Amino acid sequence: MIKASKIYQQEIKALNDISVSVATGEMFFIIGKSGAGKTTLLRLISSMEQPTTGLVEIAGKPIYQMKGYKLARLRQKIGVAYQDFKLLTDRTAAENVAISMEVSYKKPQMIRNRVKELLEQLDLSDKHDKIAGDLSRGEQQRITLARAIANSPTMILVDEPTGNLDASTTERVMNLLTKCNKSGATVVIATHDDSIYKHTPHRIMELQKGRVLSVTRGNGA
Amino acid sequence: MSFWFTVIRQVGRNLRQTWGSQLMTLLTVTLSVLIFAFFYLVYTNMLKWGDRLGDDLSLIVYLEEEPGPELRQQLINKITTFDKVEKISFISREQAFERFAKQLGQNLGVLDDLPKDFLPPSIEVIPLKNFRSLNQVKLFSAYLAKLPGTLKVQYGHEWVEKFYYFTKLLSIVMLLSGTLLILTTIFMVAYTIRLTILGRQAELELLKLVGATNNYIRVPFLLEGLLQGILGSTMGIASLYALFEWIKLHFSGPGFLNMFEFSFFPPVVTATIIGTSILLCTLGSFSTMQKFLRI
Repeated sequence: MIKASKIYQQEIKALNDISVSVATGEMFFIIGKSGAGKTTLLRLISSMEQPTTGLVEIAGKPIYQMKGYKLARLRQKIGVAYQDFKLLTDRTAAENVAISMEVSYKKPQMIRNRVKELLEQLDLSDKHDKIAGDLSRGEQQRITLARAIANSPTMILVDEPTGNLDASTTERVMNLLTKCNKSGATVVIATHDDSIYKHTPHRIMELQKGRVLSVTRGNGA
Repeated sequence: MSFWFTVIRQVGRNLRQTWGSQLMTLLTVTLSVLIFAFFYLVYTNMLKWGDRLGDDLSLIVYLEEEPGPELRQQLINKITTFDKVEKISFISREQAFERFAKQLGQNLGVLDDLPKDFLPPSIEVIPLKNFRSLNQVKLFSAYLAKLPGTLKVQYGHEWVEKFYYFTKLLSIVMLLSGTLLILTTIFMVAYTIRLTILGRQAELELLKLVGATNNYIRVPFLLEGLLQGILGSTMGIASLYALFEWIKLHFSGPGFLNMFEFSFFPPVVTATIIGTSILLCTLGSFSTMQKFLRI
């Protein structure tokens, strides 16, 4: 990302000249208070929004210039766990997780196995056939995460993954993300929960009012 | 999972979720096809009947006196000056009497006290088949009326005119119902697809974000339109066929309707109606997608 800025209507500057590079297979934390620009940054990387100025590239290609089939293929390789979940509240937990694999035409048996495995890892086995809208926020958050990583993407973007979780579930979630990272996925986590990055050996970028305040390596290094 | 398997599953899911509006659309398409096809069927049968009537069309020129051989030739020359004709026959008073007697059949007795020459002599003119539009026949009749020694010319003009205007009216009704069919079908299918799209906006946005291709999102809606077209038009034509068979069964035998020989559409016409309906429904669905599906 080179000198990327995002200005919304009424001159609200959500991001201001952000330049950062995340290597393939890296785990990267974006921290900062509410309104610092963490979510906007993730939205730019996932091509949900375009930067007002600057450049956002994935694997050397400017993503906001991509359209149609190419953009769809890229999005299949990026798993995003949104802060507002974006769950289909009238579908079951399993159907919600499966959706990201269905769009890349995975075999039904493979989808069933993967969904089962992920729900088990996130302690949601008993919620398999429950309607997503009836679940608690913590459970919905984990389903969102399961959906983001179900298709084994090469890049995982996670927005506040532990906001609604207790300590033990937070640990489960982080273990799963670490596992994905170890198997080669680039993981970018936006959070203000210091418990998950306090002892990390990975890089941490702090944002403040849309600007980069610092990029440091965690003290777990 | 193959593309088509996924798409068909999506279609099934959409139909389950919006079955109410889908059913209404299906009924509308069915009724539109039924109404249009009904008028078209009546129209084509009337035209066929008109053609058959045209085959029997002849103009009778009643004469004051029976013409001699010279006058006959002059009359033939005058008639063919106007246009070529298929046949010209001279009917003498006696021949006219014999014909009339034959037509009376069992009531022949009414002629007993009448002289055999009470009917006027006449010329029977059968125009060429390509010379049978109402205006042409009218002009020809007026021309024949001016021939020397002509009493009057008869060709059942009132009946021919009424029939002509009836088929005209039918063609207007058919055109109107055809236009209505097109508009109603496109509108209803477009409206249903629009409702489905608006009701599933969140899902469509998510599909886009998780990497669904445009085809993955669009094709199910197109298939829905296609399905509405196939089912609606087939049901419409099938209902008309059932109605047609019912009318044939219940109104066959002696009576007014027996004068006509009704026939159903040939397979090509049936296939064209169904094909056009399918095309219209798919167009309706496509136009809505272009307008409302922001992908």
